[in-house]
Amino acid sequence: MSKQLGFLHNSEKCVGCRGCEMACKNEYQIDTTPQWRKVFQLHEDDFSLPTRMFFSMACNHCAHPECLRVCPVEAYTKRDDGVVVHDPNRCIGCRLCIMACPYDRPQFNPAKKKVEKCNLCYKRIDNGEEPACVAACIPGALELVEINETLDQKTGVLKTLPGLPSPKITTPSIRFIGPKQGKQIRRD
Amino acid sequence: MGDWEWPLIIFTVLGQIGIGIILMLWWLDRKHDQLDANLFKQGVHMSGGLLILALLASLFHLGHPEAAYRALTHLGSSWLSREILLFLLTFLAWIYLFWMSRQQSGNRSLGLGIVSVLGLLGIASSAMIYVLPRVPAWNNVSPVLFFLLTTGLLGALCTLLFGRESLKAAQKKFLLQWSLGCTIASLLLYVIYATMLSVSIEGAASLNFLLSSPLFWARALLGWFTPLLLLVNLLKNSQVDKTNLILTVTLLAGLGEVLGRALFYLSATGIQITALF
Repeated sequence: MSKQLGFLHNSEKCVGCRGCEMACKNEYQIDTTPQWRKVFQLHEDDFSLPTRMFFSMACNHCAHPECLRVCPVEAYTKRDDGVVVHDPNRCIGCRLCIMACPYDRPQFNPAKKKVEKCNLCYKRIDNGEEPACVAACIPGALELVEINETLDQKTGVLKTLPGLPSPKITTPSIRFIGPKQGKQIRRD
Repeated sequence: MGDWEWPLIIFTVLGQIGIGIILMLWWLDRKHDQLDANLFKQGVHMSGGLLILALLASLFHLGHPEAAYRALTHLGSSWLSREILLFLLTFLAWIYLFWMSRQQSGNRSLGLGIVSVLGLLGIASSAMIYVLPRVPAWNNVSPVLFFLLTTGLLGALCTLLFGRESLKAAQKKFLLQWSLGCTIASLLLYVIYATMLSVSIEGAASLNFLLSSPLFWARALLGWFTPLLLLVNLLKNSQVDKTNLILTVTLLAGLGEVLGRALFYLSATGIQITALF
């Protein structure tokens, strides 16, 4: 693997509009139930000061993907750029990947009786475009980045947020810029 | 929390009984000619029937059962692939055993041994599927031990039940003692397992679910305590020929194991995102 692509999510910029969810649904015409990308709200008391913040999460294209390890049919492959691709033509719907992923990101499609997940719009990336969710993010909270030490050493870049499973399980390829504390905007 | 995984409950429990029967026959046959030929034949037929039912039940868990053959393609890291391979090999070895039971020739003990070893490896692989870092309640040795104990307990009781006419008194006593040992081991292991669960938040959620579920208490009463008392009574009073009591113990232990397996899937709590959505 030559590099590891992933997402950088800036919770300070995210307004929880769910435009990324819609862009993903729109791009792939996903059925009603599976949700490849989902916006979550952090608990207000997760930080020292009450904070209302969101984060958006799809498949994290983990460095050590549990879905890929447990899948009996090799439906999952990891590309040279680190993207974990799921091939629905190979999937037999055993749902073991759903059980193994701590982020619940592989989703079962009851209509197709197969699992689906975000493939990081690898076809768009190969054409030099941004993933649909990144392109649709109005405040620019979601970015496609290369996950490496240089990124991790930047001030304010976090490997996890409160309410997320430990990154030690699968080493997810997502980074966060957490909410700035101590800044209060009041409308008195 | 998990779901009622009926296909998996039927697959694991029936498969384990089938392999347990062969394991018991192998043990009883360790000194040649101690195993009645009819009992051997009956045992082979019964275990084969159970294995076929188990393999068929497993298909109902899949979204696309017609493509189940593809599950053999990821042997490098998937325990599910390894499980399927080992169960298929067990079944192939069983076919050899079946042929042997009809021909009344060949090395019976070797055949039983091969099916037992392959079957036990298959059962261990089944259990390893659930050893997932995401599920603290399963991410330990307990699934393997629980699955093997079900094999030993129900294998011995079923052999005792269908072999009641042809088993010798000493063989019946051994099977009863073995069943008692498995029941005690299962109970003790569950106590240790329950104390281990409280270490993590997800494990504690599994434990809370178990303790507040009427199914768990039904499992404890029907699957552990009643069979334990009945088995002690059977052994203490040398009532190895009491068919009705043996049938009762087998049914209760079977029901207990089915409930236990259902709870295994129902109580699984995975590490997950706890943020709001």
